[in-house]
Amino acid sequence: MNRRKFLTAAGGAATVALAGCTFGSNPGTSGGTDTLVVGTYSSLIDSPSSSPGAWLKSAFEDEFDVDLVWQTPSNELNHYIQRQQAGVDIEADLYLGLNPDDLVRVDRELDEELFAAAGDVEGRSDIKPGLEFDPQERAVPYDTGYISLVFDGTEMTAPETFEGLLAEEMRGDLIAQNPGSSATGRAFLLHTIKQFGADGYLDYWADLQDNEVQVLGSWSDAYGAWSNGEAPMVVSYSTDQVFADQEGADLAEHQIRFLNDQGYANPEGMAVFADADQPDAARQFMSFCLRPEIQGEIAVRNVQFPATESAELPEDYAELAREPPEPVTFTYEELQGNVSGWIDDWERQFASN
Amino acid sequence: MPDERAADAGGPDDPGERDRPVRRVRAAVERHSLPALAAGTLALLVVVFYYPVATVFVDAVVVEGRATLRVFAGILTDPFYLGELARLLAGEPPLAVVESALSPDRRLGIVGFTAYQAALSTVVSVAVGVPLAYLLARYEFPGRRTIRSLTILPFVLPSIMVAVGFFATFGANGTLNAALGAVGLGPIDLLPSLEAIVIAHAFYNAPLVARITTAAWESVDASAVETARSLGAGPFRAFRDVVWPQVYPAVLMSAALTFVFTFGTFPIVLALGGFELATIEVFVYGLIGDLQYAEGAALALVELAISLSLLYGYLRYEAAHTVRSGGARPQERRPLRPPSWSVRELLPRVGLAVYAAVALVLFVAPIASMVYASLSGPDGLTLAHYRFLLERQATGAAFQVRPWPAVRNSLLFGVAALAVALPMGVVVSVLTTRDYRGRELVDTVAMAPLSVSGIVVGLGLLRGLVFGVDVGGYRLAVGGALAIVAAHAVAGYPFVVRVVAPGLASLDRRLVESARALGAPRARALLDVELPLVWPAVVAGAAFAFALSVGEFSSTAVLASGTGQYTMPIAIERFIGRRLGPATAMGVVLLVVTSGSFLLIDRLAGDRVGL
Repeated sequence: MNRRKFLTAAGGAATVALAGCTFGSNPGTSGGTDTLVVGTYSSLIDSPSSSPGAWLKSAFEDEFDVDLVWQTPSNELNHYIQRQQAGVDIEADLYLGLNPDDLVRVDRELDEELFAAAGDVEGRSDIKPGLEFDPQERAVPYDTGYISLVFDGTEMTAPETFEGLLAEEMRGDLIAQNPGSSATGRAFLLHTIKQFGADGYLDYWADLQDNEVQVLGSWSDAYGAWSNGEAPMVVSYSTDQVFADQEGADLAEHQIRFLNDQGYANPEGMAVFADADQPDAARQFMSFCLRPEIQGEIAVRNVQFPATESAELPEDYAELAREPPEPVTFTYEELQGNVSGWIDDWERQFASN
Repeated sequence: MPDERAADAGGPDDPGERDRPVRRVRAAVERHSLPALAAGTLALLVVVFYYPVATVFVDAVVVEGRATLRVFAGILTDPFYLGELARLLAGEPPLAVVESALSPDRRLGIVGFTAYQAALSTVVSVAVGVPLAYLLARYEFPGRRTIRSLTILPFVLPSIMVAVGFFATFGANGTLNAALGAVGLGPIDLLPSLEAIVIAHAFYNAPLVARITTAAWESVDASAVETARSLGAGPFRAFRDVVWPQVYPAVLMSAALTFVFTFGTFPIVLALGGFELATIEVFVYGLIGDLQYAEGAALALVELAISLSLLYGYLRYEAAHTVRSGGARPQERRPLRPPSWSVRELLPRVGLAVYAAVALVLFVAPIASMVYASLSGPDGLTLAHYRFLLERQATGAAFQVRPWPAVRNSLLFGVAALAVALPMGVVVSVLTTRDYRGRELVDTVAMAPLSVSGIVVGLGLLRGLVFGVDVGGYRLAVGGALAIVAAHAVAGYPFVVRVVAPGLASLDRRLVESARALGAPRARALLDVELPLVWPAVVAGAAFAFALSVGEFSSTAVLASGTGQYTMPIAIERFIGRRLGPATAMGVVLLVVTSGSFLLIDRLAGDRVGL
């Protein structure tokens, strides 16, 4: 599952969405070995369940004569955008964990390039065609998640369509997240825009609000409330059962529903910073991440889906991690110039006092 | 320790020749220490607060290199933010606006709603906090000092922990509904709602009210009460005429602080109330998170203006209503067990018993739920989450957050911040209790760190300190442990000021004047005469400064550079995963460590010193 927005989420304990801190030793060179500095979100290296960071670092260092240093500023990609805006050097070579809407924000805010074109990255041709999201080919997808409903099957059966959520018997049954600050909340909002169009989604949300949808701050706020039985359905990831199974929880209480048989895809990409000190090592790392065995390992450890067709996954992986019959997503061009406005309009309607 | 200080200063012994240079130096230090400390305080404020914050606020009025009030005007005339008031500012006829403001479907706007929930939160916090202060200040019972020390514990709890505790306590399947169900009542649907936000704010702020009020109540002079009684005043009359005038400024002060805090509230709203109840700060975070600095900063300035006007109003009022007192001898505390079974003895104790039941539900149940959450897994009780902490400590990679360094750093930063904030706070208290024109303004400016939006401070620190400033071709950047301590001290000293200043102001001026007439420099008069008399307030201020440092999250995260500067709240944040278990276990570590620290602070400070 994609845990990145637990931390940028404006709700929950994430009391700061805009703070830069560096955990990880300071970049520099040690003993003649090159140092590759990779910026990423902190749960990639530090989550309590499983995170691929430590494994990726040692696997990469074993093979290449490079020190990999993780850098996890607490406001994530914004940290680098702000450094660029302030004219301060960027110490990282690569960013891992870039969403399409992140990229839209980068390009909206900065005149000069933050990222360089990816160029020739071995393995890139294996990426599933639907996942490439950068028209300028800077970002290379390395995994993807799908947003779905998770519901307690012992309490209810989730509706099969968006309209079904408006039924009287679903009143007060759904918990979603603030699209302004949470990746799942944003994906769910974008899915409704995909479904009802930019002219119709606000009406749909007005109906949803009448049916007492609860919109909490972050994914962890919402999931915590759902776990406590506040409501039987929550917007979450389609890999939910992987975690539930690890904990020995009753899978009947963790059912997945893809509304309209669709799941909103949230690909994550990596990109080399334009003024990277180690652009070659950074590209080496990108193609390393796209190898079939590494793709499988990242997918399992990050509990996401691989980005490539050729990924080597354990046989039982697909049993618990569900892929939607029809993945949907907005392209970079569709998001560009629209996503902030869509969210602002939603916020103004939903919070109107 | 002040008593040692008194002993070593009061001794006229050994006026030997060889001590003369030492004494001269000491005298010089004493003479210049207050101005020097004042200058240091100002410098620190400018570097870690005013300059960084100003860099962000400039964004509100300078857009694309040009000064403009366009962004401001946009917010002020937008009914979404200011409700019906915006229409007035937009130039609509006042009568029509008043008419619609009186209609049932009037719009409060985000600003109006934020003020509304802050007002509700303040009323509830005061209603919960003052009885606790009464209990702690006026009754003696086993464990009183421990409870008093622990009153500010809620203050340091990260909102995610509070949300966990609240869902487990007040949620649909929570303890409260189980208890109500057992007696055939309920269930009540409390979450998410405005009520839940207000109760959570009381959880955070009632302890603040209680602690500040207790400090004032404990400084009430017993002889004045006894004089009143000997002149024939009944206990109620003596309370109304002698005790209350010295206590209620503290109640008002803590109410003003509560309003300011709850006005700037944000994570609790989104965790327990939902986006329908979004406050100004939620939008400030959203806008700045989306890098829309101009709107974000302008909105934060509107927020700041309202908070500061309120503080300014309060401070003017405080300055005009200082009650002079000697403040020499505390009142005797009554035993909690009634000495006789008369109505007059029983009535307040029955009231306190009812209060205790409410406090148990409000304070103890959520904290107990957090502890329980840290011990429970899908198959019942488990130590797995604590085992995770141990494993992480033993095998965590260098780039991962580990529990022990987090505990150690929190304590180190806390003690260091306390050591800086306490002198700062006392110096500012002295400066703002002198009589001069515009002192309320100085006081308000000194209080600004309390009311500036957290994200603005964070962004300011990032751009102003971490990224640095170009000075003559060099980039001056500040980060790391010293900067963290400085930022914590700047955030914490206003508490010291707000608890200590009213006490200092109410002291009889003749005490200081006598000391000065006897040759004591200002600093020595302060240390030997004034501070011992307001000691409960100094201890409360110290506890607040420490608590603020331990609970602080955003500026720590911004200023930490390199490994090894993370604190307990950051560790909690890092350990939040799909399961909250490891985070709640770390939260319990935070609870235990900070409880121990508060007990230690109060123990070291002594229950009471004075004349």
